[in-house]
Amino acid sequence: MKHEEIFLGNGAIALGLVEAGCQVVTSYPGTPSSEILPEVVRLIKSEKLNAYAEWSTNEKVALDNAFAAAVSGKRAACCMKQVGLNVAADSLMSAAYLGTNGGLVIISCDDPGPHSSQTEQDTRLMARFAKVPVLDPSDPEEARQMAGLALALSEEFKIPVILRPAIRVCHARQGLIRGEIPHNGRKASFEKDPGRWAATPRFRFILHGELNRKLKDISQRFDTLAPYNFHNLTPGKRYPLGILAAGVSYAVVKDILSEEARDDIPVLKLCAPYPFPERLAGEFMSACDKVLVIEETDTVIEYFLRDREKVLGRLSGNVPSEGELVPEAVYGVIDRALRSLDLKGLKNSGDGGAAELVKGLHLPIRKPTLCPGCPHRASFFAIRKARPKAIFTSDIGCYTLGLNLGGVDTCLDMGAAITMASGFYHSFAQDQIDQPIVATIGDSTFYHSGTAGLLNAVYNDARFILVILDNMTTAMTGMQPTPGLGIRADGSRGKAIPLEKVVAGCGIEFIEVIDPYDLKGMIRLIKKAAQYVSDPEGGIAVIIARHPCVIAYRQEAIPNKVKVTVTEDCVDCNFCLDRFECPALYRDETLGRTAINQALCAQCGVCIEICPKGAIVAA
Amino acid sequence: MNFVLSGLGGQGILFMTKLLAQTAINRGLKIMAAETHGMAQRGGSVVSHLRIGDVAGSLVRAGSAQILLALDENEAYRSLPFLARGGRLYVNAPHDVLVREEVWPYLDKMEMACRFFPASEAAAESGSPMASNLALLGFFCGLSERAYPQRGSEADHRSGEPGPVQGDQPEDL
Repeated sequence: MKHEEIFLGNGAIALGLVEAGCQVVTSYPGTPSSEILPEVVRLIKSEKLNAYAEWSTNEKVALDNAFAAAVSGKRAACCMKQVGLNVAADSLMSAAYLGTNGGLVIISCDDPGPHSSQTEQDTRLMARFAKVPVLDPSDPEEARQMAGLALALSEEFKIPVILRPAIRVCHARQGLIRGEIPHNGRKASFEKDPGRWAATPRFRFILHGELNRKLKDISQRFDTLAPYNFHNLTPGKRYPLGILAAGVSYAVVKDILSEEARDDIPVLKLCAPYPFPERLAGEFMSACDKVLVIEETDTVIEYFLRDREKVLGRLSGNVPSEGELVPEAVYGVIDRALRSLDLKGLKNSGDGGAAELVKGLHLPIRKPTLCPGCPHRASFFAIRKARPKAIFTSDIGCYTLGLNLGGVDTCLDMGAAITMASGFYHSFAQDQIDQPIVATIGDSTFYHSGTAGLLNAVYNDARFILVILDNMTTAMTGMQPTPGLGIRADGSRGKAIPLEKVVAGCGIEFIEVIDPYDLKGMIRLIKKAAQYVSDPEGGIAVIIARHPCVIAYRQEAIPNKVKVTVTEDCVDCNFCLDRFECPALYRDETLGRTAINQALCAQCGVCIEICPKGAIVAA
Repeated sequence: MNFVLSGLGGQGILFMTKLLAQTAINRGLKIMAAETHGMAQRGGSVVSHLRIGDVAGSLVRAGSAQILLALDENEAYRSLPFLARGGRLYVNAPHDVLVREEVWPYLDKMEMACRFFPASEAAAESGSPMASNLALLGFFCGLSERAYPQRGSEADHRSGEPGPVQGDQPEDL
């Protein structure tokens, strides 16, 4: 007998994909989406499926690859975080017009909060923008079913479909029972049809008309798409207030109404919100005097309701316009809406003032920090030491935490360390100001979006130092391999493409590789690079600071471990605590000086170099 | 039944949550859990939610957790708003009283009980300093309702001996 197994939401999505016979899955890692592809790989191996999975170099690349697979008649998926869909937007907009042959699901994971992202953007808006259907699961089980539904819909209507699980689906755990996993033997085929697959603007107009007709048909399908879209109205009955809830918020609303036994409040669940199920929503609107809309993160459904008198939501100020709709927030929203309409409120089982009490405790702010032994810490220390007056443009990854070391001044989007460095250079150069600039970017981020910016910077003769922080992995998102290693998603060997070669190919003539654990050497090298940058005959200098991540390469990262201690020479100046910020360094209140937490210390020995008084020594 | 587990990145909160969740599944119960991933795992505050029973959402609403397991005392305070009236707090700490006296009246008012266990020390003594999560979980599982004869009394948040008390029965998960 099959029994329940606990699945992470992302694992449930992976299961749904292979259960639906998905044969090609591509992805670029990003929280909260990163676990989907590794779970697909695991299932491909354990079930011996004829399926292909790859870590692509970025999200646009991932989508183009999956799109081609769908054009060839396969069922394909590509997975990314929501801001990754911005990178893939060019591809998405066009793919909507061209349509597919097989099935294509684009899984874009949203991060209301945000917990691990630059924005709280709502992928459902991207779906609306691109004119493709979107499904918004309320829990892992639904996400798994919707992965299959998305592929089936896509195949039936020849249109890409977006699945947008929010973080509380991706990183929820639930018990699921596995279904049958078919061996999909569908063969690739491509029938040439340039009018479609290479459509010129004149044909694009025709394709747009086709797309609009598809959306109309799918909207009708969504009117009756129970259990994802349905309401629990009693026919003929009128209600003073109804709640329209979508995605994760539906689960929250359902729990609250059931705990409070409020079956007097009808609910319209819309987990397939676009193309908008007009008839279903119309029924609900007609039966309710007011409709409270609870959706994450933006106003998608609210705009479709088009009735400013009746609708309570973000536009009316009933629902917060930023931040995650956590259960206590939704509880308050429902309670206030009820009371404002002179209806019976909720029981108000608040926290008894704990939130205020905790605020008053002024607890230490636990900001994330680089790990003990992290090579990025050494790099940032050296960079700041060598170029204290520089603008430090940086990028997205663990090393954004160089913020804590004063080594990061900007973080815009993937690849912007380089493009903002060139932008700053030209802005200051225009005013004859010799502004030092040091850009830092991780290895994976460089492969993702670094080259176009670097080509542009070289071509336009910008001047700055670029330090590529090469820890030989994609650390922040869970140690996915990079093209630099040549290890592929399934662990097999691919072709390694060394950073040095890519950088040289971008026209860089100053390329030096150094281990940042060699702090003195790194500081010397940055100073040398600065001279090259200032030289009229010079250019952009690239330093590859290469040292393996201490978490990904636990055994090899620190071959010569050094037990470190602090001597009585410590004058309690706090320089090491402020400028090196290693979790293993702390101020011992009894000793009145810095000490080492040996349990946390990685024994990298780098801190020995940094103490102005030489008080940190090998034990 | 709602659990909140809190601590710092790297302490193994996710693993603790998984063990509790698997225990519930093995008993034929439904579970929903919510985890923290990503940047916060780099040493920041990490909170896991575990809900056992027939529930739809994965997050525990503030004021509705029966059990709070904290691997760090400051994180215990931070997660205190999750704890329901009459809830129980298990803290990894080498002492037997909450350091911040400001919260005592609140615990009394809300009839909350607090137990301490030096899980970090216990883990270090057993030779695996990383296992403080398992040490606290073991402590929690070794306790029962009977450890709290007088909920809300001062004796509760300044609990007695660490470790299972005679007469305790394993926590029924």
